[in-house]
Amino acid sequence: MTFMKLFSKVLVANRGEIALRVIRACRELGIRSVAVFSDADREALHTRFADESICIGPANSKLSYLNIPSIISAAEVSDCEAIHPGYGFLAENPEFSEVCEASGITFIGPRSDHLRLMGNKIQARNLAKRAGVPVIEGGLEGMSDPEEALELAKQVGFPVIIKAAAGGGGRGIRVVHSEASFRAAFSMAQSEAGSSFNNPEVYVERFIEAPRHVEIQILADEKGNVIHLGERDCSIQRRYQKLIEESPSPAVSPALRKEMGNSAVALAREAGYVNAGTVEFLLDSDGRFYFMEMNTRIQVEHPVTEMVTGIDLVKEQIRISAGHPLGIKQEDVRVTGHAIECRINAEDPDNHRPSPGTITFYYAPGGPGIRVDSAAYESYYIPPHYDSMVAKLIAHGRDRDEALARMQRALEEFVIEGVKTTIPLHQRILRTLRFRQGEYSTNFIESLKG
Amino acid sequence: MDIKEIREILKVLERFEILDFSLQEGDTRIHVRRGGRGGESDQGLSGRSLAREVLTVTPHSELPVTAPEPEGSLVVGEKQFLVTSPIVGTFYRAPSPESPAFVEVGSQVSKGSVLCIVEAMKIMNEIESEVGGKVAGILVENAQPVEYGQPLFIIDLV
Repeated sequence: MTFMKLFSKVLVANRGEIALRVIRACRELGIRSVAVFSDADREALHTRFADESICIGPANSKLSYLNIPSIISAAEVSDCEAIHPGYGFLAENPEFSEVCEASGITFIGPRSDHLRLMGNKIQARNLAKRAGVPVIEGGLEGMSDPEEALELAKQVGFPVIIKAAAGGGGRGIRVVHSEASFRAAFSMAQSEAGSSFNNPEVYVERFIEAPRHVEIQILADEKGNVIHLGERDCSIQRRYQKLIEESPSPAVSPALRKEMGNSAVALAREAGYVNAGTVEFLLDSDGRFYFMEMNTRIQVEHPVTEMVTGIDLVKEQIRISAGHPLGIKQEDVRVTGHAIECRINAEDPDNHRPSPGTITFYYAPGGPGIRVDSAAYESYYIPPHYDSMVAKLIAHGRDRDEALARMQRALEEFVIEGVKTTIPLHQRILRTLRFRQGEYSTNFIESLKG
Repeated sequence: MDIKEIREILKVLERFEILDFSLQEGDTRIHVRRGGRGGESDQGLSGRSLAREVLTVTPHSELPVTAPEPEGSLVVGEKQFLVTSPIVGTFYRAPSPESPAFVEVGSQVSKGSVLCIVEAMKIMNEIESEVGGKVAGILVENAQPVEYGQPLFIIDLV
């Protein structure tokens, strides 16, 4: 095998725990890291832990973490060869990836044409269909005429869901239960899509009640090798925001895992996709799965897969971007034990509003099978400008029971004072019988309220 | 060498009023010049924390990187104005290597006068003075990287 070099210096275009996660991967690979930070993040851990750090703008993320010229300029003055975008901010922005390419800087992620393709849900649906991946019955093109759309809705049968082509992460979605309310919902969805995403294109598909959200992690290199690393069950959501993820899914049998894994690999192959990615599926109560969308970034919940497979996904992303072939074959991927992740957000449990402020006391749990990915520390001020996630708590055990017991024990140990957090909510979920039995779907949180 | 050690060094330099100081430790080289103009008196500058004004740390890669400037470390007087960099980029005192600098210490400037260039993504951004007055201090050396908010000039308001 020929010797292949990795990068000598990587800029991390993000903040918080994911910036730290990338800095850690760089350090383990012997790569120097450069953090960029806003005025509000002068005392943040990514600013402190990187080999170098550069202030790129004021607290407002539009002028700092989303400011493409500033980030490219920071990469140029610090002589970085590559940029890791983390998740959120510029991670799925094709223009950013293009500017990186034009500036001779490697974007650690897929090519801009893949970001663009998967960013359009209609195009992604068509791609899935070409790859032989099951898609939910419905339109395969954008619609503007409400009468035409209504005809299609009647064909697939109510209830239907109207989605924005440029949407994602649960935004720009409307569920319609009857013909009577279809026209109004359709025009509202159109104008919402236009104002939120600058693209009024919408499409219609059959609405699946109370599905599970099960996603497949894939890795693809430039040589055309594609593998999958099993699934993550992300059905515990509130307003389309994931709260708890686990792997393996309690609802996926080895045969189904193989089938879903092969579908995800087929989709990535059809697209010629390179780097890490996640193919999201809806799984209905009869065990049928349907393509939903593909996420073209490292995901928040990636540690769950890392814990059960032992594969460091961020390091794999860096190696793939440096042109290395995958070091792992599909038959070498082994899922060992069970892992579960709770997202700890700083928020008021009563009204779900973010609860920014200073952490007056902080103790992170440890012990067997526990991993904490966080950028918080005692006396850290959680700025109000960014998202409210304070920590990801991950528990691994030899089976689901042990993982759940470790998670409950770790949630009890976790002390965050000064701000309100979702720790009590997670404790409540973990005590619920339906959750303990693994019998839950995306409407779980709704049913918890009663 | 970490920021704590650098702070300790700066404290000592300040206590003994050392104006120019170099230290090499393995691959790390540190050079501190206090007073901004190689030993001239602190004319026009008030405050005691001037030690930080020209601080370059050369890490293993031999590339110059400006140490982050903690907020409030540079104290300017009431009749002074601190010009900070609006963008991250490379600081140039002149429009080309052959040209004279836009301003020197002592230069009179008016509102809108070009003070320097900060190059970002191959674009030369001319930084104009927001105030009229006399240049009292130039805080960054030519062709050095600067970050957002980094102090560049001190202007005596007239």
